[in-house]
Amino acid sequence: MVIDLDKCTGCQACTIACKEENNVPFGSPEENRQRTDMYWNKVIAVSNGEYPSVNIEMIPMPCMHCDNPPCVQVCPAKATYLREDGIVMQNYRRCIGCKYCIAACPYGVRNYNYKEHKEQEYSRPDPPPDRSVIGLWPFPTRTHGVVEKCTFCFHRIDAGLKANKKIGVDVVPACVEACPAKARFFGDLDDPTSTVSQLLAARDSFQLREEKGTHPKVHYLSK
Amino acid sequence: MLPDNNGNNSRTESSDKKKLGGSEISRRTFLGISAFAASAFAASYLLKSPQTSFALSIDEPPYGVITEKWIPSSCLNCPARCATKVRVVNEKAVSIAGNPLSKVSEGENCPRSHIGLQVLYNPARIKTPLKRTNPQKGKGIDPGWVSVSWNEALNEVSHRLKAIREKREPEKLLLLYGLNTISTEDLINRFANAYGTPNVISREGLENEAEKAGEWMADGHYTNSAYDLNNSNYILSFGASIIESQTPLARNLVMWGKIRRGRPLRAKIVVIDPRYSVTAAKADQWIPINPGTDAALAMAIANVIISEGLYDENFIQNYTSGFDEYKNLVLNHYSPDKVSEITGIQADVIRNIAREFAQTRPAIAWRGRGATCWPNGTYASYAIFCLNALVGSVDVPGGVIYQEYPKYRAMPEVTMDNIAKEGVSKPKLDMRRKDKFLIAEVVTNQIADSIISDTPYPTEMAIGFNCNFNMSAPGTDRWDKAMSKIPYYVHVAPAFTEMADYADIILPACTFLEEWAYDHCPPGSGFSELKLKQPVVSPLYQSKSIGDIIFDLVRLLGNSVDESFYGIGNNAEEFVKYRTSTIIYWDELIKKGVWVEPEYKYYKYDQIFNTPSKKFELYSNNMENALKETQKTNSDRIAFLPHYDDVKFLGDKESYPLILTNYHPLLDIGGEDQNYPWAQEIFLVMHGYGWTNFAEINIKTARDLGIKDGDMVWIESPFHKIKTRARVFQGIHPQVVAIAQGQGHYSSGKWADGIGVNPNDIIGVDYDYTSGQTSFFNTRVKIYRA
Repeated sequence: MVIDLDKCTGCQACTIACKEENNVPFGSPEENRQRTDMYWNKVIAVSNGEYPSVNIEMIPMPCMHCDNPPCVQVCPAKATYLREDGIVMQNYRRCIGCKYCIAACPYGVRNYNYKEHKEQEYSRPDPPPDRSVIGLWPFPTRTHGVVEKCTFCFHRIDAGLKANKKIGVDVVPACVEACPAKARFFGDLDDPTSTVSQLLAARDSFQLREEKGTHPKVHYLSK
Repeated sequence: MLPDNNGNNSRTESSDKKKLGGSEISRRTFLGISAFAASAFAASYLLKSPQTSFALSIDEPPYGVITEKWIPSSCLNCPARCATKVRVVNEKAVSIAGNPLSKVSEGENCPRSHIGLQVLYNPARIKTPLKRTNPQKGKGIDPGWVSVSWNEALNEVSHRLKAIREKREPEKLLLLYGLNTISTEDLINRFANAYGTPNVISREGLENEAEKAGEWMADGHYTNSAYDLNNSNYILSFGASIIESQTPLARNLVMWGKIRRGRPLRAKIVVIDPRYSVTAAKADQWIPINPGTDAALAMAIANVIISEGLYDENFIQNYTSGFDEYKNLVLNHYSPDKVSEITGIQADVIRNIAREFAQTRPAIAWRGRGATCWPNGTYASYAIFCLNALVGSVDVPGGVIYQEYPKYRAMPEVTMDNIAKEGVSKPKLDMRRKDKFLIAEVVTNQIADSIISDTPYPTEMAIGFNCNFNMSAPGTDRWDKAMSKIPYYVHVAPAFTEMADYADIILPACTFLEEWAYDHCPPGSGFSELKLKQPVVSPLYQSKSIGDIIFDLVRLLGNSVDESFYGIGNNAEEFVKYRTSTIIYWDELIKKGVWVEPEYKYYKYDQIFNTPSKKFELYSNNMENALKETQKTNSDRIAFLPHYDDVKFLGDKESYPLILTNYHPLLDIGGEDQNYPWAQEIFLVMHGYGWTNFAEINIKTARDLGIKDGDMVWIESPFHKIKTRARVFQGIHPQVVAIAQGQGHYSSGKWADGIGVNPNDIIGVDYDYTSGQTSFFNTRVKIYRA
């Protein structure tokens, strides 16, 4: 995924669209204070400088889907793993809720689900991924006491592949689809003809905390 | 790094794995025991619920998609009314996306549109008509609601309405409305005329009137301005939060992406605002300005452009009038050095942005709420708008454009009996176009005072449609008093709000996702676009659309009121069908959800100027003529020219050293209801906080006052004080305290009540007396630790 910070307007459509798509529960003031509310994608603000030359950068943060993911390294239950296509997945049935991965993740994009299932007031009849499309999903709907995270909307990708659609063009994650400024791009970083590769070739870009050796697959294009 | 080179990539990967490998094993071993314990626990949990052999959770809703529909509709979480499509699974709306056929928002949507789901399934929805049992009204007093039938409720309301008409006093009915669909607005206005009341009050007077009046002085259009963002190369924003709250927001967001990196030439954006807004953060340059001095800055920019000969000579000579007088004023009174003292911006910076603005064409000077919601906001608006003319950015690609609207089928004349005719000719409650508000179209905030003081006559009854002025208008205590005073108040809205607490009867309206309506976009795109609203689910509970409620009421009222609604359909759906029938086939409209007019035509200089000179007026003849009508004495010539006046603040500088400013964050939904957790939890993106707002103060000011980040503080104006948390912040002018609008609810539902504070509680009541615009920014405050 490539996120163009020059196009990004900090509107947070990605955050809400992600919750909408993945049925991620919303929080409460109490959870917000304790930072236990859940976001698979969140826009963070990083402040630099002093008045009047202050600079606040708003950075949308999905899971970085590292090629060398520390969370996978530390998981004692093999609940989180790297798929062949590079997506870092979380198996809720294997997860024992030890939160080791949360501590290991340098990006803070993993969430521990403190929520009781009944608390979800806007529960949907079709908790994605839609089983009628992809068959029996290996992981049940989210539950109390496990760690969850951004999946790059793998259910869309898998369904799209099955239907012979072009990933990154016809099928994109919900956050990419919802971005009104079209600041987010999705595609195959290994394919030099893909939009993401071409953008990275043409513009200055950076990854977050590259020095950690995690090789994140979310790249940011700078202003 | 670009990991397109497979060899390179896998090498680094494997070496990293080696690096981490050792610790991985030891961690696993360490956690082995606890992992075993946890899985045993999970197993026992499973045994307790044998019916769910695969899933861990028990009470799951039935799985799978039985029915799925994508229904085109449109949004109403802000006045932009963007086209949407709604995914409805098993008769439940589950997601909202942009309608790809829409050209205004180009198939995209802003975050607010998604909140529509929570508007629809808001637990604070009103389920049945409600009747008050507690005759006492006031803030925090339980109305003692009892459920009544629609018949009983409508009969009681129509009985009251009839009684007022029988007394031949229809003007004593007051109609108030907040954010509604265009079709509902049309019906409300028609109802007012048929009934005979001149008192229809929209919320426009809180937001837009000064901006409109400024454009009207120049070109005769009493409207917000539209800008051709897509083709613009330079944007100079005066207090305009382009990507937070300026309508049409979704279009602004789309265009922002386009003009930054969606085309070869990247537009430059400069934001002038005492507050470091999200727009400022995303712009190329932020210039903090002394609050309320935007007009002076605009005049100084004009000074540089004219004195350095950078203006568009062709446009000035052929299509403007009054240039010489404007030029003399600008050159004699607004040198950059002088204005530098007023605005606190260095003269060189003024010169630089003036040159850039004039030389990077097409350029736009965009005036927002921050520049115009002030006393004399009309003149600030006029001064800034005139900059566009100086650089020839009027009706050109990349400049100011002129919004077109769908040509709905005309309605037959309203049948007015003598009672109605007498009623509508009575003076209006908001005193517009009297001595006080010279050219105003609506003076929303004046209504509270008029009700309290019974001027020009007492109000017998009021009906409020989707409004919540008890929250959104400054001087909230006046609204509490006024609403308690009205003998009979009917509130029509989907959910409980503060204003609903004052009702004698509540009629549960449905939300915009359950009703038939037509809508169009406010100025922004230029070309016109019609958007349909159709029920994506059938109205929840016993709610009804406002359109249907009005049709029901007029039928009960009978006579000429009823007759006025003949021939335009018998309910909201038929009315929408009638009005759109000249534009598009009904079946096609239902299927597409939008109708878009072909391309916008630029350079219509022979048509667009509604001024006596038929030109863009830098000296306003419109204003001169209007003031001749409303004012007996002759005004000074300066009243017809853009200019800057020193701001008159409420409160003296010694006792109240700081200036209170306020803003609408993007997730302040419609400004009047906030019971939406998706919006609440990420309310202030700039600060990384949700579920709150706070007093944002400059770090130096805070240090002087001994206030630390997170301290509880009192913010006291000459009128009231509120207690909230201080946010010490680099991005704000040292003389300013900023509080976000949208919080401080106390009767709107569990996700809004008791959260944050409402700055309108302490803002003083003042106006731009030309346009009737409520002044939001000229209240002084002091701040101290609580």
